[in-house]
Amino acid sequence: MKNKYIFGGGIIVVFLGFMLFLFTQTNVSYENDFTKIKTVDKTIKATGEWVKEKHYQFNSSKRILTFFLRDNNGNEIKVVYNGSIPNNFESCTSMVVTGKYQNGYFQASDILTKCPSKYEEQMPQEAS
Amino acid sequence: MIGNILITVAFIASIFTIIMYYYTNKGYTNTLKLARLGYHITAVSVIAASAMLLHAILTHQYQFKYVYSYSNSELPMGLLMSTFYAGQEGSFMLWLLFTAIIGLILLEYTSKRDDLEPRVMMVFTLATSFLLLMVSPVLKSPFTYIWADPQFIDVKSINSAFLSMPFLQSFFFSDPNSDSHFVKVSSELVGVLKANGISLNEFIIDGKGLNPLLQNFWMQIHPPMLFVGFSMATVPFAFAFAALMKNKYDDWVKQSLPWVLTGTMILGLAIMLGGYWAYGVLGWGGYWGWDPVENSSLVPWIIGVASIHTLLVQKKTQNKGGAGKFVKTNLILCIMTYLLVLYSTFLTRSGILGDASVHSFVDPGMMVYLLLVLFVMSFTLLGFGAVAYRWKFLTQNFSHEENVLSRELALFTGAVTLIASAIIILFGTSAPIFGTSVEIRFYDEMHLPIGIIIGLINGFSLLLKWKSTNGKDLLKSSKNSFIGAFILTALIVVGGGIYDFPLILFVLSSAFALFVNAEIAIKIFRGRKLFLGAYVAHVGIALFFLGVIFTGGYTRDMQVDLPKNETVSVLGHDLTFKGYDLIENGKKYAFNIEIKDGGSSSVIAPVMYIAEFNNSLMREPDILSRFTNDFYISPLGYTDGTSGEEHNHDTAGEIISLTKGQSTLLDGKTIRFNEFVMSEDFMSAMQSGESFFIGAKIDVLANGKTYSVEPRMINEKGQRSFTAEDIPELNLSIKLENLDASGKVNIIVAAMDEQTEDAAETTTAKGKEVITVEASIKPFIGLVWLGVIVMVAGFIISAVRRTKESQA
Repeated sequence: MKNKYIFGGGIIVVFLGFMLFLFTQTNVSYENDFTKIKTVDKTIKATGEWVKEKHYQFNSSKRILTFFLRDNNGNEIKVVYNGSIPNNFESCTSMVVTGKYQNGYFQASDILTKCPSKYEEQMPQEAS
Repeated sequence: MIGNILITVAFIASIFTIIMYYYTNKGYTNTLKLARLGYHITAVSVIAASAMLLHAILTHQYQFKYVYSYSNSELPMGLLMSTFYAGQEGSFMLWLLFTAIIGLILLEYTSKRDDLEPRVMMVFTLATSFLLLMVSPVLKSPFTYIWADPQFIDVKSINSAFLSMPFLQSFFFSDPNSDSHFVKVSSELVGVLKANGISLNEFIIDGKGLNPLLQNFWMQIHPPMLFVGFSMATVPFAFAFAALMKNKYDDWVKQSLPWVLTGTMILGLAIMLGGYWAYGVLGWGGYWGWDPVENSSLVPWIIGVASIHTLLVQKKTQNKGGAGKFVKTNLILCIMTYLLVLYSTFLTRSGILGDASVHSFVDPGMMVYLLLVLFVMSFTLLGFGAVAYRWKFLTQNFSHEENVLSRELALFTGAVTLIASAIIILFGTSAPIFGTSVEIRFYDEMHLPIGIIIGLINGFSLLLKWKSTNGKDLLKSSKNSFIGAFILTALIVVGGGIYDFPLILFVLSSAFALFVNAEIAIKIFRGRKLFLGAYVAHVGIALFFLGVIFTGGYTRDMQVDLPKNETVSVLGHDLTFKGYDLIENGKKYAFNIEIKDGGSSSVIAPVMYIAEFNNSLMREPDILSRFTNDFYISPLGYTDGTSGEEHNHDTAGEIISLTKGQSTLLDGKTIRFNEFVMSEDFMSAMQSGESFFIGAKIDVLANGKTYSVEPRMINEKGQRSFTAEDIPELNLSIKLENLDASGKVNIIVAAMDEQTEDAAETTTAKGKEVITVEASIKPFIGLVWLGVIVMVAGFIISAVRRTKESQA
């Protein structure tokens, strides 16, 4: 019995400890309040709605994509992303961008586009 | 309608089955026949309902919301069939179908083995009942009619013969933003149609179609296989529960082993097929991204693998009578495998991970969420409740001491290491529930030590003898493998230039596992070949690990622009973009890129196209697979540069897209698109094929002044070109890039002198067709696939052997 506990328990304890340590190093929290994003100097996942009226810009030689996101309270941030335009970008309505707020804009290292795959559920408001 | 009736009948029959099996287990003899009849009714109804759904899809019955939402009339047969499980309702239906069929086999299997049937089938049928509830008419049935909730359907899907009918006009709606028109399909419309003798099936003639990401070969294999794996995970749970019910723990091990082996094999293969799909077709660059959806099917697989090892110990130690060792561990692991399948379903289907995954999820609604919670909770309570109920008995009767140098303890330690891996992945994957998430490196860094330990235990456990091993013998037997592993590692380290110490350790431990297993496998090969399974599977995992180390640690990649017919040196290869071909009826563009490496040259063709489905640019990579590595090219973008001659701004500057009357702010200047300006005889010129132009009137507001320019699209006998206009006062050049009839223009705003700044970048690009790609070299990625294939082969051999043994 003892040996099983020493080996099994040892492995679990060591890995759980390592896991919790690494978690504090690698965790990225979600934030949907943009006023908070501006005050935190830490990598964050900002979730918001794409402000389509403000039109995105893409600089193809420097490969810089710029667009705006809005949170539920209407706060907007400018998002700058170095890389090509993500798949589904044109048709998406909201996004999760990973990065940091600095120099007046959000420097994103990753963009996750959320697309309404059931757009018909939104249509009634738009259509009538 | 019949579909819903079948599902309801199946559900009622399944409840009846559970009750009848319950009484059979209590000792009633006349209920067994009824229970079997009940289960057969359930299974046959489910199969019939699935056949109906498939029939509805194949015959394009768009009156069903599910058929309309996920298929259309253009899909080829294979993909059309795969729309069966393209949505939530259908994928539950598929899971249910496999569960029902596996239940029939399980019924047959258990009926031949003592009094196993009632207990196993009772729990198994309960799982079927839950799945039936999920697709029942009250929740998410795939047989729901399209008008059940009013739907707005694009007129493109409507038979145009009916569009002008006066009684339909009140059902038309337009969306001014996207300039599209819709028909509101509701029960009123169906009534009106019926009154005029039109069936809904004549009225709606096309569906929305299948997401282009899913339109490929792997869609036809990966999801069904995954669901077979999920369905089979129910079986070990049922066996463990049956053992707990009877309070007898010896026979269930050999009875469940073939099921566990087969299920784990199928689930593992399904997961890696998904990995190959992501790598080869979706262009995600790698085969594994630690995405929540991938993770949540991996976790039950890992626990399944752990359970195989401890089940084998229990079976092996039963020789002298008794239940054997690791009784409790096995019960818990077999219960956990299924619970984790359910938990993973909950994570991926409840909408809770909406923000965390590249797989898009639709919030399925509160009812589904609650039912999923109930499903997970019920089986958790059932499984752990039974273990808790028997816990005192279990600890009193089945507590054993293991020797340090014994195969039992080594296998146990291996299983615990796998459990640690599962906990880590589960922890990271569940983090979004608590509003946080982990970076990818969390998983990678955690699994480096786990991989090293697994490799070592993989090798050592096979050198250790059951019960206890003499230390000297162990040294002697491991000598050859260690020498071999050291030599191979040294070759890899020197040859591949690996200087990262943990990675060297990982190479060493994987190589060790490889040599130990290969040595034993070669010895056995002359004898009883059915005993080869474990060693073959272990050789597979060792090869897989080596492949992961090389591709994970030593992939090189870079982004490059490839101008047409110019050779660019990329990662030691000469790449030349040779132009594009139109493929698949002109819908997609294949960009031919020639790769020269020394003497050999080959052409691969990554693909890009605009998908009508979601109006997005889709990209598909192409791969040059070679013995030592894959040369992987993923397309990023393309400019045809046809209009680049007169101005050199085509690659510099900002692309802005505007609709009529809208303005945007750029570097303190307001840029507004006022209106289109057309050449006088525009309409007639366009129809007769004469030259014409369309200009876009653009105002730039800066320093309190308004500057107007009118860049144009000029069409000369079908040849389109775009002009740029300069505003010298602002040092701005505005070029029309594209326009469409909906009133949207794309313009490129650049500084007039920008081309001098970017001279180095743009000189090669101007006036040329340029494709931008991400190129990478993935060393020995073939080992990953080879490892999986070898591992699956090992699983199959083991499953055959254990099936034979289970009949004893």
